[in-house]
Amino acid sequence: MAKQYEIPIGAQHISLLEPLHFKFTTENEKIVKTDANVYYVHRGIEQACCSKFKFRQVSFVVGRVCGLCSISHTTAYSQVAEKLLKIEIPLRAKYLRMLVIELDRIHSHLLCLSHVAENSGFEALFMKTMQYREFSMELLEAVCGNRIQYDFSIVGGVARDLKPQVAQSIMERLKKFIPQLDELMDIYKNNWTLSLKNKGAGAITKEDAMRLNVVGPFARAAGLAVDVRNETEDLLPWKEVGFEMITETSGDVYARNMVRLRELYVSIRIIENIINGLPESALITETKAFPDGEATVRLEAPRGELFYYAKGNKTQILERLKIKAPTFSNVAAMAEAFTGNEYGSAPAIIASYDPCLSCTAR
Amino acid sequence: MKKIETTIENLKKDIAAFYKPELQHFMVMNAVDLGEKIEVQWFFSNYAHPCETICFYTLVSPETEIPSIRDIVVSAWVAEAELVDLMNIKVENTQKGFVLEPDFESGPLRKKK
Repeated sequence: MAKQYEIPIGAQHISLLEPLHFKFTTENEKIVKTDANVYYVHRGIEQACCSKFKFRQVSFVVGRVCGLCSISHTTAYSQVAEKLLKIEIPLRAKYLRMLVIELDRIHSHLLCLSHVAENSGFEALFMKTMQYREFSMELLEAVCGNRIQYDFSIVGGVARDLKPQVAQSIMERLKKFIPQLDELMDIYKNNWTLSLKNKGAGAITKEDAMRLNVVGPFARAAGLAVDVRNETEDLLPWKEVGFEMITETSGDVYARNMVRLRELYVSIRIIENIINGLPESALITETKAFPDGEATVRLEAPRGELFYYAKGNKTQILERLKIKAPTFSNVAAMAEAFTGNEYGSAPAIIASYDPCLSCTAR
Repeated sequence: MKKIETTIENLKKDIAAFYKPELQHFMVMNAVDLGEKIEVQWFFSNYAHPCETICFYTLVSPETEIPSIRDIVVSAWVAEAELVDLMNIKVENTQKGFVLEPDFESGPLRKKK
């Protein structure tokens, strides 16, 4: 047996966006075992939501769980609170929530792709992808008022309406983005250097994805067709606005890139359909009720299934709020998928997981 | 959400009979402090019946050691380790210190007496 070395990455490392620690046991540059630590930024948000804040304020608190998928958290919480209050929100509010979730998915997927390129040693592609991503941040600011951490979904509906000129601007800028997306697709798909780095790296099989309960693009890249947008028709009408399941089969970094890029086309179509068919109605359902009983909600955040559990006791303060972020489901698979890969591929593999530690540790 | 009550003695048997990796998706474990007892929950969804959330639950006293299901659901160790730290409950073969530092106050999600 060759000599084994232990090599740590993180919690502070140039290739990591967030505090995350992997300890690799390597043998001749090959990773044979991985230990992971993902809990450097625990902030006690669940405890705060059940002690310091009233249930209507909690949507603003959970919006701070994550900067990138803030809308997923506020929407999932609002939905679970609405279940406890037994109210139905107006149709326009449902459509506007879907619109912002898809705009958010565009910027989140492009951020992940850019970091895969950077960690694969392709600095120019990182900058190009980030440059093309900027339009989605500007649109989110126009719709929600903030580039990140948008308090758009609130209990009962949404906080802002979509102005006609903003809707027009979204349509125009999406049209301009499509050729840019085609260009990115061509590079990520066909660039020889990038494919050498990404094909076969960090691969998991569909069976492993099932066994390890993987979610999001990580699972879909391995051929496991799981997407909550395909499942929870009762809360948001995804199929009505053109949702389509995207899967690949090879389960490697390359396949994850392809899933994210192909999902961007779906997001564009969904946004266009929402704007073209945006129903007229109120934005919020008012109620004076207090949350009672227990309920769960699942929502497809950019990284996968987000799960909220809430229990109310007919008071302003919730009895319990549980948040399960997508990365939490992928921790077990993240550690396993390194095995057999070159240590040098680890940064690109980590970026392709798109881990969000502020969500996971919350 | 469909809730199925189980007991500490029957937990592993019930979950082993229910869980098939190609059919069910394990989401997370949760616990709710009810005062004298703690309600421990295991959440699953079903690939074939997507809108259904299944919750196995059992009521235990805080001192009870809960059996680990990681030999049935491989990825459950993450959720078990999280609950041990945040709820200060005992889970078979699970040490403290995954989420919080080992010397941090135990069970921040438990109700203060």
